Amino acid sequence: MPRIGVYVCHCGLNIAGVVNVEKVIEYAKNLPDVVIVKHYTYMCSEPGQHMIRKDIKSHKLDRIVIATCSPRMHEETFRRAVAGAGLNPYLVEIVNLREHVSWAHGDEPEKATEKAKALVRMGVARAKLLEPLEKHKVSVEKNVLVVGGGIAGMQASLDLANAGFKVYLVEKAPSIGGRMAQLDKTFPTLDCSACILTPKMVDVAEHPNIELLTNSEVTEVKGFVGNYEVSIVKKPRYVDEKKCVGCELCTKVCPVKVPDEFNEGLSQTRAISIYSAYAVPKVAIINPKHCLRLKYNKDVCGKCLEVCEAKAIDFKQQPETVQFKVGAIVLAVGSEVFDAAKMPEFGYGSYKNVVSNIEFERIVNASGPTEGKILCPQNGKSPKTVVFVQCIGSRDKRFHEYCCRVGCMASLKQAILTREKLGKDVNIYICFNDMRAFGKGYDEFYRRARDLDINFVAGLPSDIRSDVNGLLHFDVYDKATNKLLEMRPDLVILANGLVPNSDLGEISALFHVSRSADGFLLEMHPKLRPLESAMAGVFLAGACQGPKDIPDTVAQASGAAAKVVDLLVSGEIELEPLKAVVDKDLCSGCRICEPVCPFAAIEMKSENVEGAEKLSAEVVEVMCQGCGLCVSACPTNAIKMQHYTDQQVMAQVRTAYLESGEKGGS
Amino acid sequence: MSLTDLMSMAKPNIEAREKILLKLGGRELVNCFQCLRCTSGCTALKLLELKPHEIVKLVNLGFVDELASSDIVWTCVTCLKCVQRCPQKASPYHVIMALRNLAVEREAKVPEGYLKAVSQILESGLAEAVQDVVTRKMETFNRESLKLPKVAFSKESFQAAFMKIMGE
Repeated sequence: MPRIGVYVCHCGLNIAGVVNVEKVIEYAKNLPDVVIVKHYTYMCSEPGQHMIRKDIKSHKLDRIVIATCSPRMHEETFRRAVAGAGLNPYLVEIVNLREHVSWAHGDEPEKATEKAKALVRMGVARAKLLEPLEKHKVSVEKNVLVVGGGIAGMQASLDLANAGFKVYLVEKAPSIGGRMAQLDKTFPTLDCSACILTPKMVDVAEHPNIELLTNSEVTEVKGFVGNYEVSIVKKPRYVDEKKCVGCELCTKVCPVKVPDEFNEGLSQTRAISIYSAYAVPKVAIINPKHCLRLKYNKDVCGKCLEVCEAKAIDFKQQPETVQFKVGAIVLAVGSEVFDAAKMPEFGYGSYKNVVSNIEFERIVNASGPTEGKILCPQNGKSPKTVVFVQCIGSRDKRFHEYCCRVGCMASLKQAILTREKLGKDVNIYICFNDMRAFGKGYDEFYRRARDLDINFVAGLPSDIRSDVNGLLHFDVYDKATNKLLEMRPDLVILANGLVPNSDLGEISALFHVSRSADGFLLEMHPKLRPLESAMAGVFLAGACQGPKDIPDTVAQASGAAAKVVDLLVSGEIELEPLKAVVDKDLCSGCRICEPVCPFAAIEMKSENVEGAEKLSAEVVEVMCQGCGLCVSACPTNAIKMQHYTDQQVMAQVRTAYLESGEKGGS
Repeated sequence: MSLTDLMSMAKPNIEAREKILLKLGGRELVNCFQCLRCTSGCTALKLLELKPHEIVKLVNLGFVDELASSDIVWTCVTCLKCVQRCPQKASPYHVIMALRNLAVEREAKVPEGYLKAVSQILESGLAEAVQDVVTRKMETFNRESLKLPKVAFSKESFQAAFMKIMGE
């Protein structure tokens, strides 16, 4: 006969404030096989755990039921606690009295107490049938894949490489650097972005432990934590990376002009170009959509061929697939900037003098289209009045409900740069909704902007219009003065928010990482596990998890790197035993389970049984994630889900509908 | 000018704004971020509808002319609470005083009540004259009947002291 101990946690008043703990205890005492029932204010605390360990020894308990918070919160804690007393950790059953009872039914304490009793009864019924399980260890690859070469991916790569891990850094663009490379200065210190970024870019390129794969994309991810197999496609550059010296002679002779992506289309580059002034690797790339020879597939043009002394140009380059094994993956794919053309009322896309904040970064940057001079795009004149408009596409239920977290600070920075470059006679206004300056040194930066006579109007405009000369005009109601103001700026800068990458859906499918309601990648727990995805061994860094500024991005990237070290450093990892197992005698070899498994964890094995060939399914333990799909698909009940067997679940179901007076027996 | 108040068609007067900032002897005024603590605690708000935050904002935006000719800047009772409570040291009180000075310089009309109060002080040294009090039971009290000492006041010495301060 099993000897069950039941422990009811008050969780302060979280549970005890609603559920009548006393009644639950009295009820549990009469349940079959229950030897002892106790309660405590905080079961998870050291005295609570000690109580359980002591009882296991003195009362010879072999099953433990703990009625407390969600198992997601403390199941591990209690498993460790009972293991300390020599009991197999999988003989613990958690009954969720907090999230499922007291928090959900706070206004109905009597019914909540009845529900608590029923759940404890079900927990006891299941606990009886629990079986001891053992964790298995598997060895891991000590290589890491980092996806995305922005500041997040670079930071994670450098940290991991310095810790001695081999890092494969994959970047979609022809150069690493990401969004930060496009920025002129960084808030709140006004450090030159390139000055602090480019040395890191060079460090990444030269680090012996980092293999840099630019102009490349991940196409396939197989395997499981510690042992992922990934395929990368290196898109053709049509320039030999090893031969090109970055002399830029080719870009001067190429006759085809194309919009410069790095300058947000505000200037033109050539069909053969180097991505930016500080590209790493500094290697030319040919745009096959625009290059005459690649486009028409004939022996036309070829001017770059003539001029290239290094003989680096190769029109015959093909996509190349590389494959390798890694133990962990860091996703640092970043974010995109909201397209303000989706809100036609602001005139973005219609009026050239309405620009986005990322475009303004290029305008104000020395290597940008105007060599750092702030000029109105429509007429090339220096503006007399500049207005920043906040919250474009953010805090807007029609587009993105979240706050973009960088718009306020970016506009403050750009307003300060405008004041520095154009002097005190220029009128600078920021139309805002709430000014959010929350980080270290940020509010001081906001004050610095006010010190510089940057004026703040507490209200957002509704329509922005332009006259033929490019002079813009709009009305805005200022809630501080209760006045309707008319503004006539020469230049409007829209504080566009950060939005999920347009291909984030494919990325989430490729890596089996879910997305949250805002469209960004979902972390394991918003507070306690913000660096991990729900997929074991896949970590998140930077703005792909949610909009982030540079300090937060770097912090998260270093954190994700530390998590990877934690996972891989010992060379082996423990796997949860919550896996499916096949009973060979019952398996008919029908193969129904094989395509059902989303993790490709089922293999068909054939063996010779008494002279006949018998096919049967086998679960590859390390790949099985314990989802249970195969269990329900199997027509002969040959597959068992460990720790969630049919018997265990049915015992709970059977006792669920007993009247609270009845005793739950199985 | 690129900014217009569409309620009054007023334009910012940047010169006048600079003049006020000069009078304040510092540029802390521009640090106001509209927390509204000054107005929440303003003694003159409940009776006289003085909103110090609005005055600060209007000056920052350059709408000085309208304020300099308005009655509202004369309603401040100079309790100085806004100076004490301002988290950005923008002190609306000093702005209001600067606006009053500007109004006098421009020979704008000063509200009658304000002038009355000033002459009252000059005459008696008190914001309010010594008065008799009538209760609900129609009994009359004064300092004498309550056996309080007379208010000692020398008009000449007060005025001399007052003028001396004003001279400074």
